[in-house]
Amino acid sequence: MSMVRDEYEKMVEMQDNTGADKYPLKDFNNIGKEQIRRFDGIEKASGRAIYTMDIQLPGMLHMKFLACPYPNAKIKRMDTSRAESLPGVRAILRYDDPALPEVIDLGGHGPTAIRAIPAVARFEGEPVGAAVAADTEEIAEEALKLIDVDWEQRPFVLNVEDALKPDAPRAHPESVPGSNLEVEHVEGHGDVKKGFAAADRVVEFTAKRLLHTYVSPERPCGVVRWNGEYPEFWCKHQRPHEAKRTIHSWFGKTPMNKIVMNFPYQGATFGGWTQFYWKQGPDYCAALLAKRTGRPVKFAFSRRDDFYGGSMDEGNYYFKVGFKNDGTITAVHAEGHFANAQWEGFGPGTHFEDNTAIPSLHAPRKVVRVNKGPTTAVRCEQLPNTLAFTLVFDRVAAELGMDPIDIALKNDGSKGHDIEWLNERKRELGFNPRDSLKECLQKGKKAADWDKKWHPPGAKRLPNGRMHGIAFTWTHQWDDSCGTSEIAMRVERDDGTISILGQRCDNGVNADTAYCQIAADEIGMRLEDVFYNQHRDVPFYPMCPDSSTNMSVNGWAVRHCARLLKAKMLEAATSLRAVTQRGSFPPFFPDCKPEDLDIKDSVIYLKKDPSKKLAVADLVGVSAEAGPLGFHELYGATRHPFSVPFFAYSHQSQLCCYGWPFRPKWSRQTHFMEIEVDTETGEILVTKVVNVNDVGKAISPETCAGQQYGGTYMGAGRALFEEVVHDPVTGVMLNGNLLDYKIATIGDCGPISTHLVETRQGYGPYGIVGIGEDIATVIPAMLSPAVYNAIGVWIYEFPITPDRILKALGKI
Amino acid sequence: MKEETMKYLCPYCATKFETFEALKEHALGAHQGEAVPLPEGMIRLTVNGQEYQIQVQPEWTLNYLIHDKMGFTSPKMFCDRGACGSCTVIMNGRPVLSCMSLAIECDGKQIETAEGIADAGHPLIESYVKHHCMQCGYCTPGFVTTAKALLDRNPNPTEEEIVEALGGNLCRCGTYPQHPKAIREAAGKLSEKEGGK
Repeated sequence: MSMVRDEYEKMVEMQDNTGADKYPLKDFNNIGKEQIRRFDGIEKASGRAIYTMDIQLPGMLHMKFLACPYPNAKIKRMDTSRAESLPGVRAILRYDDPALPEVIDLGGHGPTAIRAIPAVARFEGEPVGAAVAADTEEIAEEALKLIDVDWEQRPFVLNVEDALKPDAPRAHPESVPGSNLEVEHVEGHGDVKKGFAAADRVVEFTAKRLLHTYVSPERPCGVVRWNGEYPEFWCKHQRPHEAKRTIHSWFGKTPMNKIVMNFPYQGATFGGWTQFYWKQGPDYCAALLAKRTGRPVKFAFSRRDDFYGGSMDEGNYYFKVGFKNDGTITAVHAEGHFANAQWEGFGPGTHFEDNTAIPSLHAPRKVVRVNKGPTTAVRCEQLPNTLAFTLVFDRVAAELGMDPIDIALKNDGSKGHDIEWLNERKRELGFNPRDSLKECLQKGKKAADWDKKWHPPGAKRLPNGRMHGIAFTWTHQWDDSCGTSEIAMRVERDDGTISILGQRCDNGVNADTAYCQIAADEIGMRLEDVFYNQHRDVPFYPMCPDSSTNMSVNGWAVRHCARLLKAKMLEAATSLRAVTQRGSFPPFFPDCKPEDLDIKDSVIYLKKDPSKKLAVADLVGVSAEAGPLGFHELYGATRHPFSVPFFAYSHQSQLCCYGWPFRPKWSRQTHFMEIEVDTETGEILVTKVVNVNDVGKAISPETCAGQQYGGTYMGAGRALFEEVVHDPVTGVMLNGNLLDYKIATIGDCGPISTHLVETRQGYGPYGIVGIGEDIATVIPAMLSPAVYNAIGVWIYEFPITPDRILKALGKI
Repeated sequence: MKEETMKYLCPYCATKFETFEALKEHALGAHQGEAVPLPEGMIRLTVNGQEYQIQVQPEWTLNYLIHDKMGFTSPKMFCDRGACGSCTVIMNGRPVLSCMSLAIECDGKQIETAEGIADAGHPLIESYVKHHCMQCGYCTPGFVTTAKALLDRNPNPTEEEIVEALGGNLCRCGTYPQHPKAIREAAGKLSEKEGGK
């Protein structure tokens, strides 16, 4: 068993990996190759891919929630009798139902302890009071109108500055009673007083990001049925492992092995819905009503409902920056006051910590409760950090009249140390140090034609009359390489193809194909002989799939598993094959060691004499009654050679990447944006964007590019027009639909030029680092310096809509 | 019940009669040999080349009919009010939003969905896969139908014409830059095929 043990020991060595990949493959066949056909392509293009919204079961009921019409209210009394007598209503679950536990775990990012149906609403539209299950959606909606509720309306507050006033109404009096300030945190290092004293100049400014949201094309939905004893779920959720763990805690602890989970394709939520503390509230209510009625229950939120929940960067920002005349930044005070942010908020100082040599940083944040929907990580929680980082760096450059690229190069580093210090750390952890920022700049400057196009602010009027602006920003690459990923692989009998086993959700990042590329190259299989049916409850769970953690953890698990499986196959090829009482088959490669063999194109061969070979399909043999014993004595059928079953499982387990000393970030990204501003109408056109990302090593280059241009479109929309508007008088959300809340269309961004850099400086297998979250998060803030470059005025209120341009120009 | 509602209605011409016998005499005399008209709410439509006769409620949208009732999963409900293009089907050669069309008004129409486009071996499907025109894939069939309708009326569209045609299709993953590439490639394949004939 030496080869298997050797692979096992290497796997253990790479657990909680904090350094470079010690055992990368030397030759890639599918990894990094372009034009690999994506496995989900035909299904999705032909419309045959099934999403949770498509699921219909015989006799299925439809469930809808009562929504509070007021932004801060409590149910005093509720009468459901008229609704109950409406024909077609099968069950109503009330907030005071005796079967409802006082609190329950309803998922989110971790266990929660809340009420499944509350009697208190903290925002207009919050599902409270009752859930109705009826024969059709229309009947359920009709029944909701027949519920009589006596509401206790309470005063409300909608934004952080009002909420922080001493006499402000309490937004969440039950959970945050003393004031609306839920929590305060400070991050940073060094002494900013000294830093400001050492500066040649100090500037101060403020910024504001208004509420925006994720807009998932598939609304929140789910289906539950009971088989009589146990539930089966069809879930729209990004984390199968977490969803099942939560469900396991319900109904007197339903055994894990008796819950069946289906994760169809998912209309992407970019974090969003999956992260909310109440995520599995409707799953729970639907399960309870399915149990009571004996019929499957489906819930589907409305398009408007999907807007009640946003991104956690909404709030006010305060900056004070000290810098020397040569562009060296000596101190940064970056403060954020965030509305309703989950997990006690994020940022806004982290990227100065992770990414710069700035010697002193003081970054306090306040999380403030307001009467709007919850906010969470929406591609992604780093938004406050990238906003702060871009605005501070570009402001310093502008104040000095210097090229922002020179400011970036001057301050690149980590934890207050310069790039030389960082290179020493890279060497210690086994990386070959490369200057990622310089490499990204080299490609980006050329693609953007920066040296020709960059100009002083407000200096370039185009022949079409519009003002031309160009901006640059940068930061590090991040992925949250944390968690435990579990994967298994099985070699199928009859054709020797390999099934990867592990239930994940698919949000479209083509991870299924990429895992197969890794497995195929590691084992030596043809790509078409490896497949991953990710929707099945197998039950192995890769980590947070398509959330923050994908390839940098799951890639390891796939690789470990592939190597273990290969070792098992080669050992079996040199040993006596499956032994039975009626005999056995001799080894195919007698007198060989596993090390003498290798696998290529799904065929095992002797390295020193490749003409001696055995297809993997012939090693495993055929299945069941056609197998080695079968009917051969009775009917004289051929006896088929046969081997033991081939199955391997593995895992990768890693601590969170946030916080020194774990996995400091040394891969960089640079972006360039060109715009045109019409100073008469205030209209902004994004005419060109350049993305350069150091992905460490691309498994699927086209998929990486997809995250670049895709993130750019999302970022452009966020910067230009995405804003959820609430009526200040009633607290009611005004634009919860896609006519009044605009997201980017194909015409809202000019050409996007995408470039990859591969320095192998990531912590994933082969040195990869994820980029899925990064671009949509970095792009929005860059519109502000681009506008400054165009019209010479700073606009720090996002989105930068035409009225804000005209206001800044003094025209309205 | 009023006297008025007791009258017998001719299913062919809606003439009212006082007795069933009178109606029978009229129908046999005036409409002998005519096909029995469809009952109210019954429509005929062709989906992907196959004919269907189906009873619909007046409030059903075309999307509800073909997605929920007939089981074609490709027209996806995204925005719910004619703002996103995800539920686009081709009706008599034109891309229409199935969420904004009433099923009962589609009697006699020819409908094409992404399933039908794929089954017909249209080169758009393969070029969409090749160019990664899908990420989460929820909106993709709506792009495919819009693109197919474009190619049907304009076999060689320019990039600008494609951008114009896809202006009403929302993709939250931002796959937009790939669609013109894929559509141009499919157009090239189609013209090769035409040339080969």
